[in-house]
Amino acid sequence: MRRRTFLKAAAASAAALGGAAGAPGVTSLVNGGRDFDVAPSLPVDRAVRTTCSPNCTGSCGQLAFVRDGVIVKIQQAADYPDAAYNPRGCMKGLSYLNQVYGPDRIMTPLIREGDRGSGTFRAASWEEALDRVADGLGEIGRRWGWDSIHVFGQVPGSGYIQKGANYRACALLGMSHGTSFDFNGDLPMGMPITFGVQNAEHEAKDWANSRFLLLVGANPVETRIPDVHFLFDAAERGARIVVVDPSFSPTASKADAHIRIRPGTDAALALALCRQVIEDGTWSPDFMRACTDAPLAVRADTGARLRWADLEPGRAAAAASAAGVYVAWDEAAGGWAPVPIDRLGGPGTNAALEGTRAARLRGGDVVDVRPGFDIVREELDRWTPDAAEAVTGVPAEQIVKLARAYAAARPAAILMGGGSNHWYHGDLTGRAFALLAALTGNIGVSGGGFSVYVGQYKVRVDTSPWWSPGGTKANVVPSIYFVRGRTPTMHPDVPYPENGWHGLVCTFANMFVQAMDVNRLHETLRGLEQIVVVDHQMTETVRWADVVLPATTWYEKTDLTATPLHPFLQLQQPAIEPVGEARSEVWIWRELMRRLDPAKAAEFFEMDEEAAIEAILEAGSGDGGPTAGITLDQLKAGPVRLNVPDPDIPFRRQVEDLVPFPPRSLPAPLEKTAAFVPTGRIEFYKEEPRFIELGETVPTYRPPFDDTVHDPADWPLTLLTPHSKWRIHSSYANNAWLAEIHGGRPEVFIAPADAAARGIATGDPVRVWNTRGEVVAWAHVSESEQAGSVTLYEGWWPRQFRSGKGVNELTSSAVNPIHEVHFVGNMWSPSTGWKDCRCQVEKASEA
Amino acid sequence: MSAIVAGTAASSSRSSSGRRAYALWIVFLLGVMAAGVVAFIYQFRTGLVVTGMRNTVMWGQYILFFMFFVGLSAGGLIVASAGRLFGVAAFKPITRLAVLEATVAVMLAATFILPDLGRPERILNILLHANPTSPMIWDITIVMVYLAMSAFYVWLYARADLARRGSWLALGTGTSVRTMAREERIKSAMAWIALPAAIMLHSITAWIFGLQIGRGFWYTSIMAPMFIASALVSGTGLVILLALVLRRFGRLRFGDDLVALLGGLLGVFITVEGFFILAEYLTASYPGAPEGEAAARMLTGPYAPLFLFEVGVGLVIPFVILAVRRLRRDPRWVAAAAAIGIVGIFVHRLNLVLNGLSYPNIGLPPGLPVGVAQGGSSFLTSYWYMPTLVEWVIVSGVLAFGALLFTLAVRYLPMQEAQAH
Amino acid sequence: MGGKVSPVEALSPASRAWGEIGSRSSDPHWGMVVDQERCIGCWSCAVICKSENDVPLGMWWNRILTEGEALDQPEVVRGGALEMHWLPLACQHCENAPCVKVCPVQATYHRRDGIVMQDSDRCIGCRYCMIACPYGVRNFNWGSPARPTPHETGMVPARPLGTVEKCTLCVQRLAEDQVPSCVWSCPTGARVFGDHNDAGGRLATLIREREGEDLLEEAGTRPSVRYLPPRRRNPL
Ligand SMILES: Nc1nc2c(c(=O)[nH]1)N[C@H]1C(S)=C(S)[C@@H](COP(=O)(O)OP(=O)(O)OC[C@H]3O[C@@H](n4cnc5c(=O)[nH]c(N)nc54)[C@H](O)[C@@H]3O)O[C@H]1N2
Ligand SMILES: Nc1nc2c(c(=O)[nH]1)N[C@H]1C(S)=C(S)[C@@H](COP(=O)(O)OP(=O)(O)OC[C@H]3O[C@@H](n4cnc5c(=O)[nH]c(N)nc54)[C@H](O)[C@@H]3O)O[C@H]1N2
Ligand code: SF4
Ligand code: SF4
Ligand code: SF4
Ligand code: SF4
Ligand code: SF4
Ligand SMILES: [Mo]
Repeated sequence: MRRRTFLKAAAASAAALGGAAGAPGVTSLVNGGRDFDVAPSLPVDRAVRTTCSPNCTGSCGQLAFVRDGVIVKIQQAADYPDAAYNPRGCMKGLSYLNQVYGPDRIMTPLIREGDRGSGTFRAASWEEALDRVADGLGEIGRRWGWDSIHVFGQVPGSGYIQKGANYRACALLGMSHGTSFDFNGDLPMGMPITFGVQNAEHEAKDWANSRFLLLVGANPVETRIPDVHFLFDAAERGARIVVVDPSFSPTASKADAHIRIRPGTDAALALALCRQVIEDGTWSPDFMRACTDAPLAVRADTGARLRWADLEPGRAAAAASAAGVYVAWDEAAGGWAPVPIDRLGGPGTNAALEGTRAARLRGGDVVDVRPGFDIVREELDRWTPDAAEAVTGVPAEQIVKLARAYAAARPAAILMGGGSNHWYHGDLTGRAFALLAALTGNIGVSGGGFSVYVGQYKVRVDTSPWWSPGGTKANVVPSIYFVRGRTPTMHPDVPYPENGWHGLVCTFANMFVQAMDVNRLHETLRGLEQIVVVDHQMTETVRWADVVLPATTWYEKTDLTATPLHPFLQLQQPAIEPVGEARSEVWIWRELMRRLDPAKAAEFFEMDEEAAIEAILEAGSGDGGPTAGITLDQLKAGPVRLNVPDPDIPFRRQVEDLVPFPPRSLPAPLEKTAAFVPTGRIEFYKEEPRFIELGETVPTYRPPFDDTVHDPADWPLTLLTPHSKWRIHSSYANNAWLAEIHGGRPEVFIAPADAAARGIATGDPVRVWNTRGEVVAWAHVSESEQAGSVTLYEGWWPRQFRSGKGVNELTSSAVNPIHEVHFVGNMWSPSTGWKDCRCQVEKASEA
Repeated sequence: MSAIVAGTAASSSRSSSGRRAYALWIVFLLGVMAAGVVAFIYQFRTGLVVTGMRNTVMWGQYILFFMFFVGLSAGGLIVASAGRLFGVAAFKPITRLAVLEATVAVMLAATFILPDLGRPERILNILLHANPTSPMIWDITIVMVYLAMSAFYVWLYARADLARRGSWLALGTGTSVRTMAREERIKSAMAWIALPAAIMLHSITAWIFGLQIGRGFWYTSIMAPMFIASALVSGTGLVILLALVLRRFGRLRFGDDLVALLGGLLGVFITVEGFFILAEYLTASYPGAPEGEAAARMLTGPYAPLFLFEVGVGLVIPFVILAVRRLRRDPRWVAAAAAIGIVGIFVHRLNLVLNGLSYPNIGLPPGLPVGVAQGGSSFLTSYWYMPTLVEWVIVSGVLAFGALLFTLAVRYLPMQEAQAH
Repeated sequence: MGGKVSPVEALSPASRAWGEIGSRSSDPHWGMVVDQERCIGCWSCAVICKSENDVPLGMWWNRILTEGEALDQPEVVRGGALEMHWLPLACQHCENAPCVKVCPVQATYHRRDGIVMQDSDRCIGCRYCMIACPYGVRNFNWGSPARPTPHETGMVPARPLGTVEKCTLCVQRLAEDQVPSCVWSCPTGARVFGDHNDAGGRLATLIREREGEDLLEEAGTRPSVRYLPPRRRNPL
């Protein structure tokens, strides 16, 4: 306990000062009468209230203090009506003025001079640059079709208007709009599969209402800085915090227990926990009956659910009802009961959750059927604590203890993060933990739930008036198909361009650093006639552009933002004039549209940001609508709570009012996502053929999967690339103040054992490589790392590596066919497995 | 008597060549001083960033030389006045020299404070806003007092001879037996003041460091005694060297037995110094307390060679030389021992400052902000100070200034004690 | 100053309320507690300090130490377990301040309200206070200030070359009844500002109830900043 040498209980000194509070009295005579003669703060012109908007999840209100036209301080606005959210903001947001005025800021439009990637440009006028882009895109549009232009614009939550302009332009011109939530690997496929929603999480404030917080693959101390205090609030009220993480993450340092797990094996742990609560009888069958598909009968022959309509008429206990689609066995009535899809509850008085029964179908054949839950149980039975220990490395008795502690505490919350989700089989992990939450009735209750916090993906308002001009929606193509082309299993509804890709407009994204399998991405790039990048920092992606358009920062434009972490709608408002010749995205698209299609431009692109915002507020203002009663003027004054219950927790109406699943996921129409869970219930049994084919009908465990690694022994280490406290992905990596703290040098954290085996010491340059690529960074032998994996935080710029290449050279673009069973962009769509990456590490030569 | 002969020979051969050498020497010193001034102006303009000092090691070369010269001065004066007090007549021939050395040394010490300040032009604030609780104020005060006193002391010794030469510097008073006798009494009285003054001077300097609870490595009551001991070593050492040089140029006449005597004395001082060092670092490092870390690092850290030099070369070798009777009688060996001893003491000061500062008091990562933008992290958990060229040039300038003062002094002031009849 | 206002007057009522100091005694002695349980080592307090006070590159008035092997790296404690805590460190505004004692020209001095202040116009740059400070929180202006922005930032004038600077407890804000910037900006509520003499106030109460600790108590500096120790864990 090193701290003891620095801290000694103040009791003694307090006494010395008299009074337990240690009420002091300054002893020194030295003050020369200069008691209160301080100069007041230097005056400012104004403090502008805006929102910090990198690809974070914070959406933190910030004040820009402006003096003589420049920002002299950025500080949290701390003006949330719900004080629990104040002050809200982190060191990155506070240091953003170094980005606004920093050396990497792009001041003018640039046109490529040297080879692509050489980073040699010449400054150009907006006129020239815009004409160049318009000609390039127009040419591609005419020659290959507009859909062969890929517009990549990252998650919309951090700016519905400026990012929305991408959608609007795509809708008008027919360009393909890329995806982000899935591309980012954030889309937790377990959610659409199980609940039929894109994702649904409790607002962060609700953590404080929990009695037990189980964090899996989440590192909020580094990645939810504005919200992590809600964990401590809960702890102060006696809640327990357990962190499941292969590394001793900073969050683990705050936990009551840190459970070291082998990377990519969380599903096995979850299944064992489920089995344990059932064995201990600490689960609630009634919730499973009322809200999940547990009682619904499944046919042994086809693996499909038994439909009420399949049953021989008359043999049924209850009369067939139009609403009766599925079938359950009513123990009380001793017969089949129809299960409606228009409301939850029941079915019958006491639906069977196990046992195989014979059902006579119309037409006479008899088939064996069993409740879906019976099949789930069969899978769970395999997952004894010992079986799970063998896979996860978590001691069996720790698993039992965890199961009991979790089940004993109500409400108990499961917080899952990218660490568990960013896996090829992340969907299975999600389904398994969802099962644990459901078994214990922790769904739809404050302080409980299964929440996956990843990304600022959420569309919380009705953006259609701005995103879908005249009702036309943009075609959405998963960007992973842009990186690796179409897959044989790709869903037929994906509007993949028939002539392939010929142009790219990348905005709000550092794609060539943050995208997976970067070398493969570069193969696509070679085929492109024009690459346009809109950004305000001279990133690696910018260096590859043919034309660079200088964007404004969020201190120089107007936008509308929201996040899953808190339910406040906020504005971005310009604090200063654009730096250099920077322009907003809306302005840029308007200028391009004027050149590409003057008629449409005149009809659809002459409205300004505020008009767009008002249209959005209006569209969502209907009774019960998210923006009911919210005005632009309110937003100008400060954050306004969306029209959602307090606390904002998902599935409450389903559980309390027995409204069927799923709730709507904006902006998709309900029927689209309802198709994910046709039973209208939480589904732990999936009957779609591909689930049956791949043996994933019920939550199960599959080992980590790296598509280009056939024998894991060849690549003994797992490369974990979590998110760094010091950056938002690659943003802020070039921030002078932050670099002064962390040193600005990518470190590979490696366990002492693995380091020793390779003769690696802290500070050594090390080569990390696999079948896809390699980087050279610097080793840090760390006790926090688990043998068998190395951690290299994502987001370092290639120029910061010794090899001049980024870590995503190594990551995989494998597509899980399960993610292609349905298709709704960003909702049921291929999700990336960043952490599913094998590698080898060796000491690199010096110099 | 060979030395005396040699001496007269030297003096009688005040040839033109000798004068040219002398002129060259003066020009050289003036040149180095000029360089020092230029460097100082540059440092003043650009800031102390041009030195090797940073937030972690915020004191360096300048303070080091300040301490060192305070020591030389104190040491010299103690020898001089002790000789007189305890009626060691043998010291008589070198008393004036010792006093002069003390005076010049303390002037240099005072000068070394200037380049160390971030705002030297505000130096008068020390008078305007003096803080009675600051050891630095105590030290500056004592330095001033001491400077005045030793200057007067020099004059006092020179007065009679100046009077004989009829120099106005003698301020009139004749050389009658009565006045001479009175002066002898004043001299003895002065000795009684000088001795404690010299001791105070160096103790207070020691307290600048020794009173800092924030610096475990220095926070020890032995600091002052240790400083005195080292002062005696370096002071005596320098007096011996200068005396031999002056004898070489015939400005001073004395026999080798005096050299041997001084050598013996030096040996004793070195022993005492060694004893303090042992006592200090043993008690510091033995309990293994965090405060001891610094002491322990003296033996292991990057400065370990310096420490080994301080003890091994700086103390042991001269001690051995001076312990051997035969060598002690040979002025060349004594000179060597003295020189080594002086360097040893300098290195001791170096160790003291550097090891006290190289590691921040609270050593947790990432450490202390360096104080200047250096690209990469701006924090360090340890810092290895190395003086820059600028620092060396400025230091040389001040040293040259001292050499000039001394040269001129020995030229125009009679060094040889007047022969009383 | 053409239509300029103080940064506090520029705040909306809601924001302004967040920063109000609140209850105090008739003769306040300002101080702070830092809760090591809540501190997540995010450096927001350190960064806003740089911004508020225009602290140049290379200097930090406020920094966050890791009680561990390296920045944000745990250390192995007894029993082989891993542990990590953060220790935010700025001027402790000692009541018995070594820096004040040693400053030869009284350039660093005590205010009656407990703040240890720095007079940049008087400082002669001897750096004796840096020697004296046991906490290493003082910075010297070695060269002319380097900034990442082309313009001066913050709410106080830059300090002159060759002088020492350090945390002032954001004294410029106190005058307008606003807590220091680091307290405003701590996202976890780990920093609480208040008046030690206000026995019933939040500061005194926290120190009493959570047994606030002194940093380097053995140095006898009697800091006005106290630390609240991490909570006891409740393992499975
Ligand atoms: N400071 C900062 N905050 C951010 C971001 C950022 O870049 N920087 N990005 C934002 C975005 S878009 C996202 S998606 C989120 C992501 O942030 P998080 O949800 O926290 O996800 P990661 O940082 O990827 O990983 C979190 C933890 O999972 C651990 N982990 C890795 N593999 C496994 C595993 O197999 N099992 C388990 N149980 N744990 C594992 C890692 O060691 C790490 O400690 O953060 C958001 N917040
Ligand atoms: N290996 C690995 N890779 C990962 C992850 C991982 O865990 N491991 N995480 C993935 C995840 S979860 C995510 S969310 C993605 C994030 O991937 P990205 O969103 O691409 O990451 P950022 O680096 O934040 O890129 C944002 C870019 O937008 C620019 N920008 C900022 N503001 C504006 C603006 O107003 N206008 C315009 N035009 N541009 C602006 C910034 O300068 C920056 O270059 O990374 C993914 N990549
Ligand atoms: S970076 Fe993210 S967490 Fe930090 S202030 Fe900005 S939005 Fe908030
Ligand atoms: S801001 Fe708060 S949590 Fe962050 S380092 Fe400072 S004290 Fe700790
Ligand atoms: S912490 Fe250091 S600088 Fe601050 S008052 Fe105490 S001694 Fe002085
Ligand atoms: S550096 Fe300035 S403040 Fe510090 S002690 Fe010297 S004069 Fe005083
Ligand atoms: S009180 Fe003000 S000056 Fe002191 S550390 Fe906090 S922000 Fe910096
Ligand atoms: Mo993300």
